[in-house]
Amino acid sequence: MIETILQYVIQSTIRSGLYALVAIGFTLIFGVGGVLNLAHGASIVLGAYGAYFAATQGLGIPGAVAAAVVIPAVFGAVMYLTIIRRFEHEPIMVMILTLVVSVAIEQVVLKTFGAQPVAVPQFFSGNFSLGATNVQANQAAIFVLSWALIITLFLFINYTKQGKAILATSMSAKGASLMGIKSSRINLTTWIIAGALAGVAGMALGSQLTANYHLGRNPLVLSFSIVVLGGIGSIRGSVLGAYLIGFLEVGVVEFVSSDLTGIAPLVVLVLVLLVKPEGLYGRELAE
Amino acid sequence: MSNRHRAGLVGLVLLAGLPAVLEPTMALTFAGAYFFGVYAMSWDVVSGYTGQISFGHGLFFGVGGYTSALLNAGYGLDPVLSIPVGVLLAAVAGIIIGVPALRLRGPYLSLVTLVAPLILVQLFIYRSDIFNGEQGISPAKVDALLGLSTFGDEYMFYYIALALFVFVLALLWTITRSDAGAVFTAIREDEDTVSASGLNPAKFKIMAFVLSAAVGGLAGAMIVHTPSGNASPSTLLAITVNVEVIIAAILGGMGTIVGAAIGGVLLILLQNQLLNVDLVVPLLDTPISEMDFLVFAIITLILLFAFPGGLIRWAFGLTGMFKERVFGGEGGGPEVATDGGAESEANTPLEQVYENYTDDLRAMFGGDDDER
Repeated sequence: MIETILQYVIQSTIRSGLYALVAIGFTLIFGVGGVLNLAHGASIVLGAYGAYFAATQGLGIPGAVAAAVVIPAVFGAVMYLTIIRRFEHEPIMVMILTLVVSVAIEQVVLKTFGAQPVAVPQFFSGNFSLGATNVQANQAAIFVLSWALIITLFLFINYTKQGKAILATSMSAKGASLMGIKSSRINLTTWIIAGALAGVAGMALGSQLTANYHLGRNPLVLSFSIVVLGGIGSIRGSVLGAYLIGFLEVGVVEFVSSDLTGIAPLVVLVLVLLVKPEGLYGRELAE
Repeated sequence: MSNRHRAGLVGLVLLAGLPAVLEPTMALTFAGAYFFGVYAMSWDVVSGYTGQISFGHGLFFGVGGYTSALLNAGYGLDPVLSIPVGVLLAAVAGIIIGVPALRLRGPYLSLVTLVAPLILVQLFIYRSDIFNGEQGISPAKVDALLGLSTFGDEYMFYYIALALFVFVLALLWTITRSDAGAVFTAIREDEDTVSASGLNPAKFKIMAFVLSAAVGGLAGAMIVHTPSGNASPSTLLAITVNVEVIIAAILGGMGTIVGAAIGGVLLILLQNQLLNVDLVVPLLDTPISEMDFLVFAIITLILLFAFPGGLIRWAFGLTGMFKERVFGGEGGGPEVATDGGAESEANTPLEQVYENYTDDLRAMFGGDDDER
């Protein structure tokens, strides 16, 4: 029993870190640009398949990681520059266009790599024991990596000039522009960061099990719940939300039924929206 | 009767005569397209008119379709009886979605409507014993309408779908051109003004949602009893269905009913046409017909880029006339207000929704009110 619970805690902790990476990117784009990026799931897929492709080309783990970061980051930049910038003040159009783009990306991946799941390379192989349970080194690496990224991003946002500019733009685009901050550059930065984070999460998700062309859908839908629960635009809220949702999701699947995958977070989402739409952290960035 | 009305009537007469030159399989394709036209109209009446953008209209098609299919397959209820029950339950679903819509605005409403069908699909998978999961209810278990058979009665299905299409078109046309339609439009333009006029926007929003859900549910309930569709997530509830409905309405021209109807029909015909293209894409080495959805997505992107105001408006060069019809304002350029600024009346429905949406976002994030 204890073992099951320990296993559950470890599983959820690692999974939640990845959800946080996905959700932070989502919330950054929403907080700064005011648009919902429904192609965020496509970045996850691109990260996983980028890593897989680099590995099959014999580039090794460093190559795989680089591909998982760079390809989705470039994808984010291209998306912003070609599509989003034109419809920046038309959030509905952005939702539709990003959704269509994500479907297109999924189709390209499906046609290029097939419907069979592929094995994404692991960061590290092997096992070690923690207390009474066995932990894969890869999972530990993912945990460390996700927290390293979260902390780095937190420091970047709060203590660098670029980061503060992002914060300022999300508080008031107009005020920021009066201070000489170019909002289009800030937006571009957030799209690149969001893409890179999602790509890393994609590689990590794929390396735990396998990757398929619709790998990104579930995390994307989960990040709706996470972002709304944490409070739209709040990074701290996203991390907390990711852990709450992650533990809930893994718990329901583990202890109730695996057929219920995805339902509990959606129910939480609807409840939060009805009861406390501003989420846990309201809008931290605006304070 | 204006020229446009005449053109519309001639078009309908042509559609009625079309089976004379259509092959049976094409007749079924057209039937599917009419059903989709009804979906798009049902979206338009709530989202295009009141501006409550729904990203999950499949919920209503699904509730209608599954209800009718299950009652028919499980209890042997005749489609003639099970379809109205489906419509009723879809209307109830309209209330369930409509009530939160009173509290939630803009992006929040979009999120709720986006996930509502996802929850339903998950429930269907969870209770696969009843709903048969992602496969859906096999069409073999469901009776066809009026005891028709898939092979041989293609033209009857064509006329059933066309009859539904015309009926819904007439119904929604009448309602949206009535006083209620004017209130719907007013809610989209400025909800506070509606309240200030002594009308309750909540009542009209719920009404729009229920109307829309019932119409969508009707189409969903009918389609499962025809060869055009069955009660499965992929034909009724999938995200692609939800998005295609929106794309159809926006491409056709949002907030006009007619535009949504034409957009919905054309979209399915275009998709079907892609299946028959033999061209082989050089780089990927696959024929277009095998990646129809990708090509469709790309064409959609291009169309949305080129004609954000709607294909129909553009095609007829009727922007001014449409505005005149819909808003009763002057056609041509934007009306100049007394303070010298342009009045927002001259905006297309899409632009108005964008404006409200952006306002809601600002309210959500606080600040930046001065930009207005």
